[in-house]
Amino acid sequence: MSLSAALPQRPRWFGGDALGPRLARHTLTLVALALLLLPLADLAVVTRDPWAEIARLAQGLAWPAWGAVETPLHALGLTIAVALWGTLAGVVLGFPLALLFARSRLVRAGCAFVRAIHELFWALLFLQVFGLSALTALAALAIPYAGIFAKVYAEILEETPRAPADALPLGVSRLVRFVYSELPLAWPRIAAYTRYRFECGLRASVLLGFVGLPTLGFQLETAFREGRYHEAGALLWLFYLLIASLPWWSQRRLVPVLLIGGAFLLGPWPAINGGLLWRFISQDIWPRPLLEGDWAGLLAWLAEVPDLAPAIGNTLLLGLLGTVGSLLVALVMWPLASRHFGNRATRLAGSGVLVFLRSTPELLLAFIFLLLLGPSMLPAWLALALHNGALIAFLVARHADSLTPGMAQLPASGRLAYELLPRVYPSLLALLYYRAEVILRETAILGMLGVATLGYYIDENFQYLMFDIAFLLLLVTAMLNIGVDALSRRFRPREAPLDVPGG
Amino acid sequence: MRWIAMTAVTLAVLAQGAQAEETFRFTAIPDEDQSRLIERFSKVANYLEDRLDVEVEYVPVKSYGAAVTAFRNDQVQLAWFGGLSGVQARRLVPDSRALAQGQEDAEFQSYFIAHRSTDLEPADELPEAIADKSFTFGAKTSTSGRLMPEHFLRQRFDEAPEDVFSRVGFSGDHSRTIALVESGTYELGAVNYSVWEAAVEDGRVDTDTVEVIWSTPSYPDYQWTIRGDADERYGDGFSERVQQALLEMDDPALLESFPRSAFIPADNSMYAPIEEVAESLGLLR
Repeated sequence: MSLSAALPQRPRWFGGDALGPRLARHTLTLVALALLLLPLADLAVVTRDPWAEIARLAQGLAWPAWGAVETPLHALGLTIAVALWGTLAGVVLGFPLALLFARSRLVRAGCAFVRAIHELFWALLFLQVFGLSALTALAALAIPYAGIFAKVYAEILEETPRAPADALPLGVSRLVRFVYSELPLAWPRIAAYTRYRFECGLRASVLLGFVGLPTLGFQLETAFREGRYHEAGALLWLFYLLIASLPWWSQRRLVPVLLIGGAFLLGPWPAINGGLLWRFISQDIWPRPLLEGDWAGLLAWLAEVPDLAPAIGNTLLLGLLGTVGSLLVALVMWPLASRHFGNRATRLAGSGVLVFLRSTPELLLAFIFLLLLGPSMLPAWLALALHNGALIAFLVARHADSLTPGMAQLPASGRLAYELLPRVYPSLLALLYYRAEVILRETAILGMLGVATLGYYIDENFQYLMFDIAFLLLLVTAMLNIGVDALSRRFRPREAPLDVPGG
Repeated sequence: MRWIAMTAVTLAVLAQGAQAEETFRFTAIPDEDQSRLIERFSKVANYLEDRLDVEVEYVPVKSYGAAVTAFRNDQVQLAWFGGLSGVQARRLVPDSRALAQGQEDAEFQSYFIAHRSTDLEPADELPEAIADKSFTFGAKTSTSGRLMPEHFLRQRFDEAPEDVFSRVGFSGDHSRTIALVESGTYELGAVNYSVWEAAVEDGRVDTDTVEVIWSTPSYPDYQWTIRGDADERYGDGFSERVQQALLEMDDPALLESFPRSAFIPADNSMYAPIEEVAESLGLLR
């Protein structure tokens, strides 16, 4: 006390344990790391004449051909039904696990594993057994979501105040304590998170169409891939409208109606064939030499596996660049959609841009950048950064809207710099850390660009029907994701209010 | 573990019961224009239903891989496969056989196309000058967009494509290969000849910007393949009746869905060259 009071301390930039400097250090470290590794990324720009194709694309979006879409209402209905039932099944599976989450290491590890695999890859796995059926679609959503719900619900329950539980008389059963003192307090946040996850489910449900389930994505992917942009435009608009109108049709009272209505749309149900299932899990996914105990053969098999080191390197690098890019995009964009800035018109435009960016499948964004910039990691990076950055920006804007500025007389720039940004930044960073794991999973689906990430090889081996190699790569990917998840959890600012859902 | 097995068995038994009246299912992915699949191929299903006296249903799929999986898992019994996917499928399902191919498929070709900035001229042999340019295949398991082009590239340069070109991509689709080469994103590409010709005919491609510089020697491609157990399940001689129905399909409205001018007989041995190439490229084992 005496010494430090006597000697005026040298101002310590970004030093100390206070939240502000700590977050600043995190941010700067991330950015510095990205800049340091940037030379390793392949960011060549090749532009010749992309404009003819871009013009065709823009025309397609501007003049959608509604008539060209086959059974749009069925596709739309099925997209909602899969998202709704998939999310519900995830809740049913995930909730009991959330109660065991803190106590059982096995549950935690299991949940981390199922979350670490992208919905599309779950779908590709189930496709081998259940075919193109509703069960494949539901399981592809429900299983990873169960892992996510277990983790997030457990965190929410953990953060409920203890006082009400302590006030209960002694000898009250665990169940009573849970139902009367914990659940009611956690309920609003659990409900809010579940809603948010449902929106993610909608996007995932569309994506499932990309592997062949008849949701909106089925026709969207083909129309887009084959350059029928007017048809693709119609489907995209349908999807934007679906996401933008979510607050109106996802009312609590409508959910039972949607659930029952959706149940009729789900289908076809597969004839579950025990033999197929058993063949897949006992043979298809294991290397044959291993099953035959042929060790020399196993070495030869390992030689067939794509070179793992560059694949892991590319995956991590793209994941890191995507994360840092998302941070920058989110920082720039969140004020566009917040009630504290601009006027009605700018806010409407801002929200529109954010809905557009976060709802547009990354694959589409990546393709536009691929045309503009040529094949390299750059289009993938931009697509990941814009998509995820817009998503974070939207959540941060909603968080900021719930705050009342204490210094209302400040001009907008001052309000942003001195009050709102410092108040929302912890949760922005928390969201980013949650999202890092998602970004890493998403690097998988950008294989079209020839960026050889792990996901690129997984997809390739599913196409070659070499399920054993695909499965090995899936395990590697899952381990990588679990590692990154653990890292991001360690660095996530604990002080961040979790009312803003992440994940 | 035991209860999982029990449940699986119970469900399987229930499923067997539900499948009492057997529907004959088929799938098909045309090499171009996959719009309105259900509408177009339901007409083909109706035609087959009339000819075969069983219920016939069309199952839409997205990719060759999905088609092979559906065939292997008996979710479809007949499929219109590409050259490579047909070989994959017949290896996985014992006694399955190729029944018919399109008239065009007996002598199929791939075109190598180039952006005008490369200054490459059409030639009888793949020009040396394509080395060190950027290049895109179509889908990874496409016979005309990947397998055969890679085979001829290796024959010409005795090197993997990754070593010949500065960059190798997989566009995922023939139409997209054309779009990417036309926009100069990739300097060169390999494309299914019939997709290219249809695109030129419809004016969907600017032939001043991108042109064909080489066409591959011919090879067999798309074919109808039926499962080996079809006769057992749908009656003796069923496969022959399916073959007959396919060969006699002469309604242009049906044929243009594939798009083929007619179907001609085919058998497994015709695809031996494809199998060999796929094995040598490590796509089959």
